[in-house]
Amino acid sequence: MDLHDMEMRAVYGRTLNELMDENPNVLCLEADLSKASGTNPEVAKKHPANFVNVGVAEANMIGVGAGLATEGKIPFCASFSCFASRRVYDQITISVAYANNNVKIVGTAPGITAGPNGGTHMCFQDLAIMRAMPNMHVYSPCDVYELRAMMRHMAAHKQPTYMQLIRSKVGRVFDEGVKFDPAHAVRLREGKDVTLVSTGYMTQFMPKVAAELEKEGIGVDLLHYPSVKPFDAETLIASARKTGGVVTVENQSIIGGLGGAVCEVLSEYCPVHVKRLGVPDKFGEVATEQYLFDKHGFGPKQIAAACRDLARVKKEKSR
Amino acid sequence: MSEPFDREAFDVRALEWRYVITDMICRAGSGHLGGALSLVEIVMTLFYRSMKVDPTNAKWEERDRLVLSKGHAAPVLYAALAYKGFFPKSWLPTMNADGTKLPSHADARTVPGIDMTTGSLGQGLSAACGIALAARMNKKSYRTFCIIGDGESNEGQNWEAAMFAGHWKLDNLTAICDYNKLQIDGSTYDIMNLEPIMDKWRAFGWAVFEMDGHNWDAIYDTLQRAAAVKGKPTMIIAHTIKSKGHTLTENKPESHNIKVPDQATYQKNMGAIAGGPVKLPY
Repeated sequence: MDLHDMEMRAVYGRTLNELMDENPNVLCLEADLSKASGTNPEVAKKHPANFVNVGVAEANMIGVGAGLATEGKIPFCASFSCFASRRVYDQITISVAYANNNVKIVGTAPGITAGPNGGTHMCFQDLAIMRAMPNMHVYSPCDVYELRAMMRHMAAHKQPTYMQLIRSKVGRVFDEGVKFDPAHAVRLREGKDVTLVSTGYMTQFMPKVAAELEKEGIGVDLLHYPSVKPFDAETLIASARKTGGVVTVENQSIIGGLGGAVCEVLSEYCPVHVKRLGVPDKFGEVATEQYLFDKHGFGPKQIAAACRDLARVKKEKSR
Repeated sequence: MSEPFDREAFDVRALEWRYVITDMICRAGSGHLGGALSLVEIVMTLFYRSMKVDPTNAKWEERDRLVLSKGHAAPVLYAALAYKGFFPKSWLPTMNADGTKLPSHADARTVPGIDMTTGSLGQGLSAACGIALAARMNKKSYRTFCIIGDGESNEGQNWEAAMFAGHWKLDNLTAICDYNKLQIDGSTYDIMNLEPIMDKWRAFGWAVFEMDGHNWDAIYDTLQRAAAVKGKPTMIIAHTIKSKGHTLTENKPESHNIKVPDQATYQKNMGAIAGGPVKLPY
C-alpha cells in the first residue's frame, strides 16, 4: 500500500508500532487524545504494556515522560499542538529540556489544520516558542515518508524533541527511502530568481507553485526545512546570495517561527529582502483552509504573488 | 547501604548537617534555609537506613530513587550526598559560586546521586511516577521516593500525578510531604489551606500515613510500613518544623529564603544553631 493514501496520524501510529516492535524502550504516551493521534486502537492494542494513557493531564504526561526517560525509556508524548506546547511550556522547559531528558513531544493538528476546533485550539506559535527553548530540537515533517524517517531518527537519538504532526492526508512530496537529517534543509527545486522556504504542512503546496512560476520565467530555489531547530543556515545563506530575495511560508504565526529563523540568519549574514507568509499576529477561528489562506494571505495563490513581487523588484533594481 | 542505627551518632550528624546547610547558604549570601532544615532527619533516615544506594556507583540500576520535588531544599540533599561519599565534602561550600556543580536547586546534570532535576514546583511527583512506572515495566525492584513541600502542594500538577499514581496502583512509590505548615507568604492555613490533607490523598487512591518528621524512630517505622503496602502508592504526611534547630528563624516564614549580606549576619546565623557550635568538615 502506498502510504500516501493514509492519513498522517495513521502513519504515525503504524511507525510507532514498528519502533516499539524493534525497541521495547520506545513508549506511547497519550493524554486522552489517542484516537486523534492515530495510536488508538493500533498501538494501544499491539503494545498495551507500553501504551500509557494519563487522562486529560498534559502537564503530568510531560513529567511522567521525563521520569520514564531518566530510566532509559523513549516516550513519544502526543496531544493537540496547543496543549503539547503552550499549555506545558514550563514542564517541557524544566523537566525535559533543562533536565536533558530524552522525551519526544508530538504536537498534533498544528496551525490551521485544527480547523473545526477553532481559535481555542489553533496554535500558531508552537514552532516559535519551542525554538526559543535551549536544548530542544523542533521538527515539522511535510509528508508520510518524511514523518517515518523523522520518527526513526528521534527514536535513535538521545535528544529532547518537539515534532508537529498533521493528522490528515497530505500531498506527496517524498517517496519511500527519503532520509532525514536535522542539520540539512532539503532543496526540492533549483532556481536563481527567488528563494522559497517552507516547512511542514505548507511544503506540499510548494512544488506546484514553483513549477508555475518557472513557466512564467521565474526560477525558484525551493527549500524545505523539516527541522526548524537546528536550523541549516548555510543552505539558506547560499541560496539568498544567489537569488537576492526570500519568501517564507508556514502554517504558523509569522512571528518567531520559520520566518523568524530565516530573518535572524539573513539579517546577520546576508541581508536581502524577505517576505514572511503565514498567519499575522492574530488568533485562529473556526473556518475552512481556503478561507484562512485567503484571509491571512498564505495560500498557493498568495505565495506565487509574493514570489512574483520579489522577482519584479529584483528586476527593477538591476535595470 | 543502611548502617546500624546509633541514636547518638545520628543526633551528632544531624547537628553537623544543620551547620553545613546553614554555612552553605550563608556563604552563598542567600538561600532556602527553612525547607532544608525541616528535612534533615527525614533525608538522613532515607540515605542511612531506608534507601539502597551505592556512592561508588551513583547510577547503580538497582538503587532506590529519590526525587526532591521541592528542589529548593537541595542543600540538605547535597549534605546527604557528600556525607555518603557521592562527591567530596569540599564541594559543599561552593554552592551557588560561579561555575559550581551545586546550584541552589537540585540538579541531576551536575550532581552525582541526584535522580531528577527539580526547581519548578509541582513537577517532581510526575517524574517520580514515571520512574516508578519504569521499574514496573523493567521488572526492577527498586523503590521510588519523592519529597514534596506543603506550599508546593498548591500546584495542580501534583494532583494530576496523585490521580495517576492511584490509577496505576504504583505501590513502589512513596511520597513524603514536608508539612511544616509555612509557605513563603505565611501559614499554609491562611494562604491556601491543605486540610483535610490526609483525606485528600486517600481520596486519590493512596495509603496515607503521618509521622513526626524529626523523630528517628517514627520516620524509620513509617517508611517501613509504607514499603509494606501493596496495591497503592503511599503518602507520608511528615509533621515538621520549618528551619528546625535554627533559633533565629525556626518556625518563621522568613526562613524560606534568608539573606546574608555581610559577615555580621553570617556570624549571627551560624550562632543561632541550637546545640552548636561544631566544626565544619571542609
